[in-house]
Amino acid sequence: MQDDNEITGRVPMTCEEFALVCLEVRSASEDSALRQAVLEHARRCPHCATLQVNLQTLQDDLRYLGLETKGSEAAPRVQMRVMQEFRTKHRSEKSHRFASMGTLGLAAAALVAAVVSWTNWRHGDGGIPTNLVAKVDPGKSSWARPTAPDGLVIGDTLMASSNTGDFTLLPGSTPSPMEDATVVRVQMQRGALGALGFTINEEHASDLIQVDLLVGDDGLPQAVRLPESAQ
Amino acid sequence: MPIDIDERDDVLLRRSAKGDQDAFESLYRRYQAPLYRFALRMTGHPWAAEEIVQEVFLTVIREPKKFDPKRGTLGGFLFGVARNRVMKHLERMPRDLPLAEKTDDGFSPDTLASKELTPVEWTELRERRAQVREAVLDLPVAFREAIVLCELEEMSYEEAASALQCPVGTIRSRLHRGRALLLAKLEMLREVPRRVNAGR
Repeated sequence: MQDDNEITGRVPMTCEEFALVCLEVRSASEDSALRQAVLEHARRCPHCATLQVNLQTLQDDLRYLGLETKGSEAAPRVQMRVMQEFRTKHRSEKSHRFASMGTLGLAAAALVAAVVSWTNWRHGDGGIPTNLVAKVDPGKSSWARPTAPDGLVIGDTLMASSNTGDFTLLPGSTPSPMEDATVVRVQMQRGALGALGFTINEEHASDLIQVDLLVGDDGLPQAVRLPESAQ
Repeated sequence: MPIDIDERDDVLLRRSAKGDQDAFESLYRRYQAPLYRFALRMTGHPWAAEEIVQEVFLTVIREPKKFDPKRGTLGGFLFGVARNRVMKHLERMPRDLPLAEKTDDGFSPDTLASKELTPVEWTELRERRAQVREAVLDLPVAFREAIVLCELEEMSYEEAASALQCPVGTIRSRLHRGRALLLAKLEMLREVPRRVNAGR
């Protein structure tokens, strides 16, 4: 009987080729011409036919092994442990984040408090040059005496703006260097401004007003300024 | 925010890295079983497989940034981590093949054997399958991985290549050689069926 390959003119498969193709199970199953050649060779070669049967058995056994464990999955305890770890990690991260935010908040609050304190200190006794802020010393300035005949009334602590602009020189005063002057805020009757050369509305002469005085180092007022609130 | 069942892996990973428990749980449910089976078939021990799955997901929890989407899929990354753990396990533990079949969550008893088999045939079948199982576990790791993924897990060559992070051609050749080795081992085992007993 004539061989099929001789009829078709194809070169018959060798045993080595057969073994290679058989081991490459998927290629053989996907290519029908190749499968045909394999079957043809197996029909002619008993050794290769046995190999093919063995391979098929191995294939079945492997498939069985696969099916045997197909539904296997990790026990629920693994999931529990993993989820526990997940929660622990993210809880600690969250608390760490809160702690960091808290620390930052506290630091910011401390900074703000420090800035406010410093600003207050700057605007208070410690920060402003003594020549611009002073307590009124009744013994040092006749203007500041409570019994002054011109009606000057002195507050306990008088702090004026350190801005030395807007002062009007008092009659008879000569401008002196600003480094030696002190700004003092005093409360007085409006009428007393008349003694300083200001024109006074008689109707309001008895009103109490606040006035900034520029006091020289000799203790005498050199200039006067009406703060906005008094104008 | 509810989790879509088809939500992409990288999205789930990103969300779980931000503390989204549902997203992490979805990832776990998606991958724990194939990872477990891979580890089980590679090590032969359910306890080792559980440990490996746990370590893989702990890596995801602790170092989610280790996964780089540019380098491959999350599945490939997880299998890569599992492989490393399997290797460590195999290095640490000399293979201790459980000869007795397991009935808990490991290897289950024969469920597919035909009821028409005679007791003798049944015994032979069980014995042969035990030998196949042993032969698979005896394969060099590279060939075992290919057999486990392509034959037992029925992954495509492309999927196996992605999981093992190697070219498809490598998978093909490892599978080829793995089958040849298995065949050789099984023929040898059939000649000396109770190798372990023979040594006693």
